[in-house]
Amino acid sequence: MTRSNGNSVEVENLVKRFGDFTAVDRISFQTRTGEVFGFLGPNGSGKSTTIRILCGLLRPTSGRAIVAGYDVVQSPELIRRNIGYMSQKFSLYADLTVFENLRFYAGMYGVPAAELRGRIDWALEMAGLRGRESNLTGTLAGGWKQRLALGCAVLHRPPIVFLDEPTSGVDPLSRRLFWELIQRMSGDGVTIFVTTHYMDEAEYCNRLALMNGGKLIALGTPTELKLGSIQGWLLLLECDRLGEAIERLRRFDGVRDVAVFGNALHLVVSDAAAAPAIRAALEADAISVTSLQPIRPSLEDAFVALTTGRGANCPSELPS
Amino acid sequence: MIERLRQILVKEFIHLFRDKHARFSLIVPPLLQMLIFGYAATYEVNRVSTAVLDFDHSPESREFLERFSASSRFQVRYILQNESQITSLLDHRRVVLVLQIQPGFAELLRKGRTAPVQAVLDGTDSNTALIAAGYINQIATRFAQDYQLQLADRLRPALMTFAPRIELQERPWYNANLEGRWFFVPGVIGTVLLVTVITLTAFAVVREREIGTLEQLMVTPISPAELIVGKTLPFLLVGLATVIITAIAGTLWFQVPFRGNVFVLLLGTTLFLSSALGVGLLISTICWTQQQSFSLAFFYVTPAIMLSGFGYPIASMPHALQLITYLDPLRFYLVVLRGTFIKGVGLGVLWPQMLAMTLLGSGALTLATLRFHKTLD
Amino acid sequence: MSLRRLLAVSRKEVFQVLRDFRSLLIVLLMPLMLMTVLGYGINLDTRHIRVFAFDREGSPASQDLLKRFESSEYFDLVATVTDYRALAAALDDGRCQLAIVIPHDFSARLHDGRPVNVQALVDGSDANTAELAIGYAQGVLGAYGATVQADYLRKSNAPTVNPVLSVEVRTWFNEDLESKNFIVPGVAAIVMAVIGVLLTSLTIAREWERGTMEQLISTPVTALEIVIGKLLPYFALGMLDTAVCAAIAVWWFEVPFRGSLATLAVGSGIYLTAILGLGFWISVVTKNQLAASQIGLVATFLPSFLLSGFTFPIEQMPLGVQPFTYVIAARYYIVILKSVFLRGSGLGALAGPLIALVAYALIMVFLAKRSFHKSLA
Repeated sequence: MTRSNGNSVEVENLVKRFGDFTAVDRISFQTRTGEVFGFLGPNGSGKSTTIRILCGLLRPTSGRAIVAGYDVVQSPELIRRNIGYMSQKFSLYADLTVFENLRFYAGMYGVPAAELRGRIDWALEMAGLRGRESNLTGTLAGGWKQRLALGCAVLHRPPIVFLDEPTSGVDPLSRRLFWELIQRMSGDGVTIFVTTHYMDEAEYCNRLALMNGGKLIALGTPTELKLGSIQGWLLLLECDRLGEAIERLRRFDGVRDVAVFGNALHLVVSDAAAAPAIRAALEADAISVTSLQPIRPSLEDAFVALTTGRGANCPSELPS
Repeated sequence: MIERLRQILVKEFIHLFRDKHARFSLIVPPLLQMLIFGYAATYEVNRVSTAVLDFDHSPESREFLERFSASSRFQVRYILQNESQITSLLDHRRVVLVLQIQPGFAELLRKGRTAPVQAVLDGTDSNTALIAAGYINQIATRFAQDYQLQLADRLRPALMTFAPRIELQERPWYNANLEGRWFFVPGVIGTVLLVTVITLTAFAVVREREIGTLEQLMVTPISPAELIVGKTLPFLLVGLATVIITAIAGTLWFQVPFRGNVFVLLLGTTLFLSSALGVGLLISTICWTQQQSFSLAFFYVTPAIMLSGFGYPIASMPHALQLITYLDPLRFYLVVLRGTFIKGVGLGVLWPQMLAMTLLGSGALTLATLRFHKTLD
Repeated sequence: MSLRRLLAVSRKEVFQVLRDFRSLLIVLLMPLMLMTVLGYGINLDTRHIRVFAFDREGSPASQDLLKRFESSEYFDLVATVTDYRALAAALDDGRCQLAIVIPHDFSARLHDGRPVNVQALVDGSDANTAELAIGYAQGVLGAYGATVQADYLRKSNAPTVNPVLSVEVRTWFNEDLESKNFIVPGVAAIVMAVIGVLLTSLTIAREWERGTMEQLISTPVTALEIVIGKLLPYFALGMLDTAVCAAIAVWWFEVPFRGSLATLAVGSGIYLTAILGLGFWISVVTKNQLAASQIGLVATFLPSFLLSGFTFPIEQMPLGVQPFTYVIAARYYIVILKSVFLRGSGLGALAGPLIALVAYALIMVFLAKRSFHKSLA
């Protein structure tokens, strides 16, 4: 067993089938030490399955996955010592107190006696639960539970942490606090592997992998994805009579896609120079155009473009 | 390893004892069940509701029926006047037995001819009917013998003093007064223990699976063996405590003797509990919901009780069922319970039962450990 | 009350029942398994009592007596031993239930017309079997004694007057006194106690545990609609199981069925309502599957075995315990089952238990509904 890199996750042609259903379809990627690696995708796209394979909870049908330098099939036990995992469903013992939960998981992960007090203090501090050590976990509010769960998962200072939708059902303020914790850990060199479907959270990630239908359809930094997902230019069009405008634009040569975004339209065009011609064409049909300008695509644009297959995934630089 | 085990034990004990209701339900129901069931379980037949219909009205028929009123086995509730009353009494379950004496009863007896007595029994409860029929015959035989002696005495007094008599001198061992309760109280202890322990452990793993904590536990370095031991030990201790409490209650309340060695009983209990816990955990590891595991636990517990010899003699079962009883740890534990309570025997006698429970226990625990994968597939 | 909403709740429940294939299988297999184990396994007619003989004389006369034990259908003469120690050991480890000791002067005393005592050492730890064994042994010995006595009187040329009392026992309802006829009809009560209380209390407690109950309550559906809607599928399942039980009893075990199907259906329907109401009530009060199952167990499963008259007759229980049996719904249902099968009773004869069950059901539904309302407030 080569312990090539204790902080990384390497996945090669990973496949997981449940009967006829292929949940994960030949995906490959690699994480880098200390990065926040985001796994993005619609529900049922295979994110949780992948994370469970990497934690040794599910066996892959084929392919290879190396976590913390160990193969998931051959040495799941060694992997478990080197990772922290927070499952999608909140799962601490409701009838144990905050302290008892921490003490329990410290025991499970074999935190040395000398470090025990310090680590638990650290976790209490981090989760903002100082003074609530003897509260029953079941009585805590969502955000606190979430941070306590994270505390329990990282008590043993694992080099890699897997978080499966850690912030679902948590209020925005708690979400922000939670992401500050993640950034801090990443700053300490911990590799964080996180799934989410909040776009704003995805922006916090160093790199993003986008999954759809079990396939890995894009991989890159948030900026790369935003740019790379769109071939051509993205224009924001504000006008009246949206319905007729869409009809007209679909017939316009050079407009590759039209999508409604709030009160406006997003157009994908091959060449930004076509803007005046578009404006002219619309006004010729008596549609009054308030504004038509090139914009930077958001992550949501990228997400929609990629998952609906209306864009390509090769990164290309945006001419400034 | 030791630390992980210690922590999982601490956690399990908190689960068991934090809740006031849980603490209560660990102690009170077994105790209550033992007290009530200790009384309820009995095959003794007493106070059989009886109706009598005497058409003879002779001193003989009166004396014969008197013997039924005098016996504690029967309770004469109705004196009937005509046959038509019989059906209605039996149909409405007012009586179990109707005794009917035809006219000419005394006449036949005096002539030394066969005098018939009719007994109509409600056979719905075949056991009671069977035993009651036995008592009726006993009373009748004794009556006939006494009547014969009286006659012979009047005819040839000298001869009878030398007539050979064979008597059975019964000497019940272990239980001189043949108290039925002595048999059932240890049996109830074993049964209540089995039910409590299996249902608790059947939930042990599946509950965590349903709540979601199991997934979190599975990504820690804990080994299946550690988890199984951690889940077993608290229930083992609870089981031992239950046995001690119910045993004390049984000896004090029901006056059942405890003649054996406490350590033999505790050893037997430990071995029995390991099999019961093993089965409970095995159920828990193969089920996905608490409902499934509970149904399965019942699927196991019911035949385990019925085939254990708790109330239904194994020797009277068909051969195929008798073979199955060897897979039932309760069967062996009941021998240990009755052996230590009533017979006062030790390991010298009980080793085959101990060995059998050891085999069943290690088998069940091994299967449970093998069945428990740390994967979700 | 809206039928549409009620059926919507039921439909959802049916989907959940059907989807949980394992639980469904267990529910359907439960009557089969219980019937097999109970129908074949419970035979209270004690035969094959293991006998050891210690013949201290070894004469033709003593051998003759032992032959009579050997040929009795109640006894299995397992071994002949030559000292008391071997008997004690055999009684200790249970190889022997009854030991017959024939004195060394057996034939000499018989010859001289002196009384003879034959000892019967009996394992009193199982008092019921012990009493039966003593009774059977007395029978064997009595028959032998009568022969010897008749020989003696004949040799002495005494005038023989031999008054005999013959008891003609006629058994009604269960003519051959077969245990299976007494046990098998009652199995339906046990099966339904398990399904009724345990499964319903678990499914409802699960809704509380998972939080789906809150969701359900927030819709316009009323408490009564939820209660009835949730119980309806289990009611159907319970009735199906009753039918399965009755079919097996009649066609496989050949238990006579003398009553009408309509009476059976009415009784079963009322009993099921009572039991389901109890299950619902327990689950509303506990809102926790583990607690619901533990309470359900203590409240129904063991009592319906031990306190309902299923195997242990209620009349034989101490008077202090008998009042407890009135709160066990199975008590009334068992009377109905046995009466419909064996007696052919109609609704009129069963008015008592039927009214008791109706009252029981009403109280349970009322309690369930009230607790449910409270838990919403």
